[in-house]
Amino acid sequence: MAHVVTPLDQPSNYKDSQARVDRQKQQELLDKSSTLYVGNLSFYTTEEQIYDVFAKCASPEDGGGVKRIIMGLDRHTRTPCGFCFVEFYTHTEALASMRYISGTKLDERIIRCDLDLGYREGRQFGRGKSGGQVRDEHRQDYDPGRGGWGAQAQKLEIDRRREVEERYADTQVGGHVAQGGGDWKEQNGGVVQPTLKRERSPEDEGDNDTRQRARVEDLDTGRM
Amino acid sequence: MSYERPYGGRRRRRDDYDQDRRRDLQESPEQRLQATIIRLGDVDVEQEIPQLATDPRFHDAANVPVISEGLRLGITEQPYKIPHYAALLRVLSVPHPEPSPPEGESAQGSSSSPSVGRQILDDFWRGFQAYLDQLAWRQARLCIHFFAHLTEAGVVTPQSMLGLLQSFTAVLDEFGVSTGRGKRAARCAAEGLMRAGRSLKDYSPASVIELISTLQAYNETIAGAKWLVQPITKLYNQDASPVNAAEILDCAVTALKLLEASDFSDTATIYPQPYADLPSLSEAPFDLPSVLVPPEVIELDGLSTDSGEDALVKKEEWPEHLLRLFDNDVTPDPATPAGYAVRADLLDIIDIFEVNRKECARILAEYPRWTVPGTFKPKPGTPADVPDRELVPGRDWQLESSIIETILGAQFILPESPEKPIYYITLITELCKLSPQTVGPAVGKSIRKLYSYLADGLDVEVGRRFAEWFAVHMSNFGFQWVWKEWVPDLSLPVLHPKRVFMHRALEIEIRLSYLDRILKTLPEAFHDPAQGALPEQAPGPEYDYDDPSAPHHDSAQSVLNQLRGRAKPEDVMSLLESLKITLVETADGDINVDSVIRSIAVQSLLHIGSRSFSHFLNAIERYLLVLRNLASGGADAKADLLSVVSTFWRRNRQMISIVFDKLMQYQIVDPTDVVGWVFTHMTEGLDWDVLKGAVDKANGRVVIARKRVAALRKEQDDTRARAKASGGADDGAMEVDGEIKQEDTPADSPALVNALNAFTSLTREQKSTLARVLEGFVHAVHSTSTDSSLIPDQTSLRVISPSAWEDRGSWGNEEWKAWQTWVWYKHFCRTYSPYLRSYATTLSIVSFAAVDGADNAAAVLMKKIWALAIGQD
Repeated sequence: MAHVVTPLDQPSNYKDSQARVDRQKQQELLDKSSTLYVGNLSFYTTEEQIYDVFAKCASPEDGGGVKRIIMGLDRHTRTPCGFCFVEFYTHTEALASMRYISGTKLDERIIRCDLDLGYREGRQFGRGKSGGQVRDEHRQDYDPGRGGWGAQAQKLEIDRRREVEERYADTQVGGHVAQGGGDWKEQNGGVVQPTLKRERSPEDEGDNDTRQRARVEDLDTGRM
Repeated sequence: MSYERPYGGRRRRRDDYDQDRRRDLQESPEQRLQATIIRLGDVDVEQEIPQLATDPRFHDAANVPVISEGLRLGITEQPYKIPHYAALLRVLSVPHPEPSPPEGESAQGSSSSPSVGRQILDDFWRGFQAYLDQLAWRQARLCIHFFAHLTEAGVVTPQSMLGLLQSFTAVLDEFGVSTGRGKRAARCAAEGLMRAGRSLKDYSPASVIELISTLQAYNETIAGAKWLVQPITKLYNQDASPVNAAEILDCAVTALKLLEASDFSDTATIYPQPYADLPSLSEAPFDLPSVLVPPEVIELDGLSTDSGEDALVKKEEWPEHLLRLFDNDVTPDPATPAGYAVRADLLDIIDIFEVNRKECARILAEYPRWTVPGTFKPKPGTPADVPDRELVPGRDWQLESSIIETILGAQFILPESPEKPIYYITLITELCKLSPQTVGPAVGKSIRKLYSYLADGLDVEVGRRFAEWFAVHMSNFGFQWVWKEWVPDLSLPVLHPKRVFMHRALEIEIRLSYLDRILKTLPEAFHDPAQGALPEQAPGPEYDYDDPSAPHHDSAQSVLNQLRGRAKPEDVMSLLESLKITLVETADGDINVDSVIRSIAVQSLLHIGSRSFSHFLNAIERYLLVLRNLASGGADAKADLLSVVSTFWRRNRQMISIVFDKLMQYQIVDPTDVVGWVFTHMTEGLDWDVLKGAVDKANGRVVIARKRVAALRKEQDDTRARAKASGGADDGAMEVDGEIKQEDTPADSPALVNALNAFTSLTREQKSTLARVLEGFVHAVHSTSTDSSLIPDQTSLRVISPSAWEDRGSWGNEEWKAWQTWVWYKHFCRTYSPYLRSYATTLSIVSFAAVDGADNAAAVLMKKIWALAIGQD
């Protein structure tokens, strides 16, 4: 019945950049696939919640059912990073999930399903630079279900916090606390001049520069 | 490095994607012509038809197949446009003046060649024939709608239309026609007659009356089957007409009789007839060729069980009841001509657009534009919404309520909805997203109405689907429900259907979310654990050996430590063995040592796997050997193992289902063991989910085994055919081809032999699972008397009497539990009826032996339901 409307169970245009099969082979695999990629999950959503939703598309009377669930994890922290694979016993069940589940809410988030080539070792981990999913790398919004700000924004946040934390780290108990200077007193002139000059010197701007440079370095280390 | 663009890889991918899309956009002229037909009326149908009539593409004979295919798609996928397609064909049935008629040639030449409309109809008919040959019933039925409109438009002759309808009523007279086939054929005839009745009655009143009486006679033969699938059940009266529900064939017959009584004079106010004002045709009308509805295809795969029963499984189909939730002035009564038309259209739309629920929602919301004005209340604020508009009597329905009622009606069809319930659930979600202000109230009212039906005999299965819908729906809309209004019902007995509903709805809500979130949505009264509406704490495991003072704590710790350290299964087994020896030596009294060991081992195993579904799978996969060993003491050991699981997960029913399912999957326990567990754990009523899980597992395995046999047979046949062909073609190849020699010994391949053996043992398992369930039900409504014979359980006997039902307001938990067990039994019989039929003889001997001669009301009802389900009534 697909002449008037486009069925919802078509796979998306996503291509697994790390899959080692050509495009045609990928298509063949998708045409039989019983595995779904599920995205936009909250980091807090459990496998049992996922099971409950997807079991509604299962056809046990035809020998189907939820075969397994593979939770997507952050490469570094081994914590859920907002996606998973749901594997059924049959292709029909995966298609039913595409039609009925994709685009509905789970744990109060609209989830997205896509037919998948099938799970391989290593795919359970996020491929973003910071360990999570790529989409969480440059996200600009604050998403409490997915760890708040995007990874890059978080990195800025962390840097800022570190700066704040380090700023007063040299404070010592009983150490000197500056007085702020007293009332005007008659002095012998000419000594003050150079101090003022030093404050306005380019070193100040240089300070700014190092901060930026540090950020760039962070980015670079994150890339490996 | 400057030449490296950041994110270069991604850019390349996107280019690729654009290219793919561009390719899709290229359409051939044929595709464009077809699209024109399919999109007919998407803007303004009244303007489009005259435009198309002058479109040269529609007068090019070469385009006939394309146009006819476009019409077939349009008609079978957009039934609401059929009257307009009929109008289009009617317009095309006028001989079109040749673009440049050669001088001197008279009009004779062009009038002798049939109009393009006629040519299209010729071609269209072949498509209809193809639908019929495939027994594509819905497509065939919608084509009949089209022919009926054409009859009214004067394009098709009444006598040939009558002949067409008669070939469908002929199906009803076939010997042993199945309910499904009968229902579909009857709908084809009835719906054709509703549209073309006026022309047909003009032509032959007697034939019309005969058609209706054939339909009516058939409808009366399926009365028993109807009772079995009524959504609101009265156990004591099998002749009762449905309460708050309407059976679709009943409705069709009633509506037809009403139409006939008024000589079909209302047709034009029910169905749009955009062709009505056109002058009559000069061309002689078309005679539809006569057809024969082909017989049902029975797949003969020659597989039978070890005792020779036919192992064919075909879905038995039942009459369809549509549950009513609103009054007749709010939503259409399907037992009236106009109501039936709207209902049937809505049901077809829901059915056809199952592939895309979002589009389906949109099309449903736009449905009124395809109906006769006045059918639905105009949208507030639209030009049609004037305060003193003239109301069409018996119309002016509310669109949203009509849609929701129809969707829920389909969702609650027994024994199974046409599509998975989740489809209807998410379709309603889409409608709510589309227009929250108008759909929301209709949903709310439906929920309240259904909730009120719970106390009046709403079938347990409908109640179950209702709770599921409620919870999933709420999970999509922030769990906002006015629970306050149900607070007074918390004083009802825990097993009262309303309490069962609330409990289940909340349980599913918690599964989809988490306890604290759901708590926030509930009024204070629900928070008190003593009310029993909510669990005291979030669903979780209960490891009974955690407390250092618990018996066997130390032993359990040692097992747990080994499991946590991922010790080898052999080591775990020897540890269990040594614990057992110690236990035997130290135990006082007669404790069952095996049982204690089983409990310690299984609980510990579940404990290490309790963190998630995956952890659980990893745990049992690692220790399959241990589990097999623990389950090896026969059926008792397996029953014991299941009990340990249900004890460990007593605060999480979902996990019980999951663990049981996987234990069956890994063949630690059999479906029969799980069935046994269900009937020995009935304190809170029968756990249908678990029971269904077990029966489906047994049936599903047979399905897979059957497919495997078929695939291997085909493979073997292909190999042989190929060997034969190559052998015959080239003698020289004979020597190298060793397979040729096998031709002399056409023994099955070892793989096929194995598959056949598997099939035999799986059908045996299937049969014993079904027998076990039936036995379970027999025992559930009986108790064992002193001489170990069965006597009906007093409560079970009482709840099926009319007087007790009237007094249900005073029922306690025991009564409700007994009543629910009865209805689950009914549901089991109708759901698994095709399987039960296959094994009917064996099953009735094995399972009903104990009540065979009994004539008390309980035994009689049991046997009655059984007989109706297997079609022996």
